Amino acid sequence: MFRLFKMPPQIIRLVLLTIAIVYGFSVAKELLTPPSFGQYGHYRGNALQEIAAREPYWAGRKTCESCHGAIVKKLAGAEHKTLSCETCHGPAQAHVDNPEVKLPKLSYSKCVRCHEALPSRPKWLHQINVKTHYAGLCTECHVPHQPNETP
Amino acid sequence: MSENIKKINRRGVLKNLAGIVGGILALPAGRVCKATVRNALVSSPAPDAYDPTKHKWLMALDVDRCIGCGLCVEACQKENNVPQNNFRTWIERYIITKPKAGSGESRGETFVDSPNGGINGFTQSLVPKEDILKSFFVPKLCNLCEHSPCTQVCPVGATFTAPDGVVLVDKNYCIGCGFCIQACPYGSRFFNPETRTADKCTLCYHRITRGLKPACVEICPSQARVFGDLKNPVPDDPLQQFVANNKIEALKPNLGTGPRVLYAGMDEEVR
Repeated sequence: MFRLFKMPPQIIRLVLLTIAIVYGFSVAKELLTPPSFGQYGHYRGNALQEIAAREPYWAGRKTCESCHGAIVKKLAGAEHKTLSCETCHGPAQAHVDNPEVKLPKLSYSKCVRCHEALPSRPKWLHQINVKTHYAGLCTECHVPHQPNETP
Repeated sequence: MSENIKKINRRGVLKNLAGIVGGILALPAGRVCKATVRNALVSSPAPDAYDPTKHKWLMALDVDRCIGCGLCVEACQKENNVPQNNFRTWIERYIITKPKAGSGESRGETFVDSPNGGINGFTQSLVPKEDILKSFFVPKLCNLCEHSPCTQVCPVGATFTAPDGVVLVDKNYCIGCGFCIQACPYGSRFFNPETRTADKCTLCYHRITRGLKPACVEICPSQARVFGDLKNPVPDDPLQQFVANNKIEALKPNLGTGPRVLYAGMDEEVR
């Protein structure tokens, strides 16, 4: 046993120093690595929950349907069936939390944003030249929920 | 030399050994302490029932259905509080002009524009209508690459592909070095000046984990964006229908990044 210690002291010091460095590194790594690191891969597993913790902003068509089912059902039979309620009516989460809060009235710019004629728009989309189409309001001739009907 | 050897005796060695063993035993104790403190400090009100290994999300984009209204860009910005002039998703307008008479070409020049990411919609283009051979809108976002270059270059393990296929950024771990922003060949990442970290599309991770659609898919009026879960197909699954009814392409497939986002109706000009 004591033959080991007949090694030159500088070598022993080096060995001890190496052990100390390796040990210090492993202790530091253990303490500094977050507990969920490596749960799914080379990253913090908790990050998934933290990113998912954000509150949704748009309520979603399903939420609207729970109260306004009749309107949504009628919409589903017409040309605007692919639209979500909030596409035109705007964010509705405040209205969902408190039905007293009314959504703002819509302006004709909502219609024009999609239906103004542009050469880049696909041919299946109904497009109008806003300047020459009609000077009045869209709703004078078109029902937004059932565009193929007249008021 | 003899004095130095004398200093190392049995008692000293045993002391050192005891110290090392004690230190090793202290490791698990420290780990438990740290986990307790972390769990107390970091709250996660996210849905507990969500298991990322049981889902595989994917988005598909139909170029023929996109009408260029830009409502998806606006929806994304509001949903995720995206800073102005940065975009997690955006719309590009491609305009291909008619070939010059007698040039022998099938098509002329290609012009691409995306005014403010298309967030306010598109107005008439600068190319006169008579010169346009064809034109279309292409919505863009993170391509959810199979071999994502952005996650490979991160020096701190702050960006990663989650088991459900979404490429995410851990904002508490990101050091804002910007390597991933340079590595993305699709320009899908940006530096968020408010958080001082890299930022990108999360497929609205906070929405899809709650069973909602991503904001852009929810708001899109023309169903140009299709979203679904590859591991849990529903009856008449929209993604399967999309693949069945269209010729499927991907952006920059030659780069070997394995982009997973599906495109239909894309022209060869689209990069």
